Amino acid sequence: MDLKLIQKLVALMERGKLAELEVEDKESGLKVRLKSEASAQPHAAAAPVVHMLHGGAPAMAPAPAASTQVGGEPAKPAREGKTINSPMVGTFYRSASPEAEPFARSGTRIALDQTLCIIEAMKVMNEIKAEISGEILEVLVENGEPVEFGQPLFLVKTD
Amino acid sequence: MFRRVLIANRGEIAQRVIRACRELGIETVAVYSTADADALYLREADETICIGPPPGKSSYLSIPSIIAAAEVADVEAIHPGYGFLSENDHFAEVCRACKIHFIGPEPETIALLGDKVAARELAKKAGVPVVPGSDGPVEDEARALAVAAKIGYPIMIKAAAGGGGRGMRIARNEPSLVTGFHAARAEAQNAFGDGTVYLEKLVENPRHVEVQILADKHGTVLHLGERDCSIQRRHQKLIEESPSAALTPQLRKEICDAAVRVAKAANYHNAGTVEFLLSRTGEFYFIEVNCRIQVEHPVTELVTGIDLVQQQLKIAAGEPLKVKQADIEFRGHAIECRINAEDPEKDFQPSPGRIDLIVPPGGPGVRLDSHAYSGYRIPPNYDSMIGKLLVHRQDRPTAIRTMLRALDEFVIQGPKTTIPVHRQVLSHSDFRAGDHDTGFVERYLSPHPRIAQGKDG
Repeated sequence: MDLKLIQKLVALMERGKLAELEVEDKESGLKVRLKSEASAQPHAAAAPVVHMLHGGAPAMAPAPAASTQVGGEPAKPAREGKTINSPMVGTFYRSASPEAEPFARSGTRIALDQTLCIIEAMKVMNEIKAEISGEILEVLVENGEPVEFGQPLFLVKTD
Repeated sequence: MFRRVLIANRGEIAQRVIRACRELGIETVAVYSTADADALYLREADETICIGPPPGKSSYLSIPSIIAAAEVADVEAIHPGYGFLSENDHFAEVCRACKIHFIGPEPETIALLGDKVAARELAKKAGVPVVPGSDGPVEDEARALAVAAKIGYPIMIKAAAGGGGRGMRIARNEPSLVTGFHAARAEAQNAFGDGTVYLEKLVENPRHVEVQILADKHGTVLHLGERDCSIQRRHQKLIEESPSAALTPQLRKEICDAAVRVAKAANYHNAGTVEFLLSRTGEFYFIEVNCRIQVEHPVTELVTGIDLVQQQLKIAAGEPLKVKQADIEFRGHAIECRINAEDPEKDFQPSPGRIDLIVPPGGPGVRLDSHAYSGYRIPPNYDSMIGKLLVHRQDRPTAIRTMLRALDEFVIQGPKTTIPVHRQVLSHSDFRAGDHDTGFVERYLSPHPRIAQGKDG
């Protein structure tokens, strides 16, 4: 991996020209992801997350109204992002088996149709797939915990 | 006795079951759809689980969701209430497979009695009179005409899988039989996924009399007397009372004995209701068995002093009935008025929305079973019942007076309700004289009876 190139890129980031960067070294299989602090805070103020939407669809945070920008400093919400809610009642499992790695943890990049967790209902293991892409900010339920319909499972920063 | 029970229903019956459980020291798990998230009765439950979005098929009718909730909540039994999954033999079967007690009869009994043709055969074998009819499904027009010629007009065409008045037609002559036959089949196919119909002689201006049954798993079958549910609108009951003004002591004994015979023949367990048509001339005919607790069960609770929902829980847990038939005393007269959020002036169309203010009636002899409160929003997704107003007094005239007083006291601001209809019925001379039948509401309360009915050509 070319360290000098990375240093150059980091310098660019510090000057605000680059928000996010992912470098992969094919030989070592090493992957490095860099993100500037500025990009971690979205420019627009995100409205509070709306929970309890139907059908497992991600709850959409309403688009910030123009008026919230007046006065410069946007209000800081408690949490940002969208939630992925449980489409059914059942038991939440983070991995396919007790020994396996969790499908998703905080920081995991998720793509459409990627399995995020399993919810067991009536002895059936239901794979819950992502309907949005982005990055998991937080897993909101413990492994093996019962969940109800509409309960937020993951907090996601969407792309 | 059970330690923990899940209630697979909503509204006033969910509340009623929670009350019974609490009095017996049983923990309750209430399930709800997102449309009912604000309901106050949920606070009385030990645990609540949201099982789905508002449509019934995704929540209260979703067997996987309810079983998953039962497993997550670790309950021993499920009370299905009325409506929804209460008479679904497949659901009872799934409960059994999951080793959860279904509070009701066995799936085989529900399946048998749910098939109206089979239930009629069972009643006949038990020596209980049935309305003369086709004795089985009628597959085609020619056979329908032949059967009708034999038993005589007017004829009722009924769906084998039917209920709630759907898939039913009245025919007074051959042309209306032919059109009604095809219309009923199509309607039944749409409503129940089964277009099988049968024919029956129409008993004109009958009364609807039903007998409450309690049967344990140790061979005891009791009857708790009758309820007269003749005040109906389009086969939906509005007012129920006990005892029936139309039964003599002899007729009462015959009809109650007949109900017990049907329950025994069906190997029935738990609370159930055997429904009969009673003709003007005193003949009674078996109609069907309802394999559930009924909306109007408090009428029987008032005159017998027996808590039917508590008995359901005890029977399902395998306890023998402690009460004997000879111990059951019938005291006074009870009347129930169903208070629905419907607009009687607009053909009883549902009137959901926010209840701005509700002030319940009270005083001697009054009972109100209702989950509503000031600020409650009646969801548009389910039935329109706000509550059941009941009175229990020493005799029928006094009960009618108390009910009129209670209806006057009852304040519901916001939705339109059936309260004015109840006032009209209770004030009518025919009702006061006990001289009413299932045609009463259409005859006296419909603004355009002939046009409004549409099917009784």
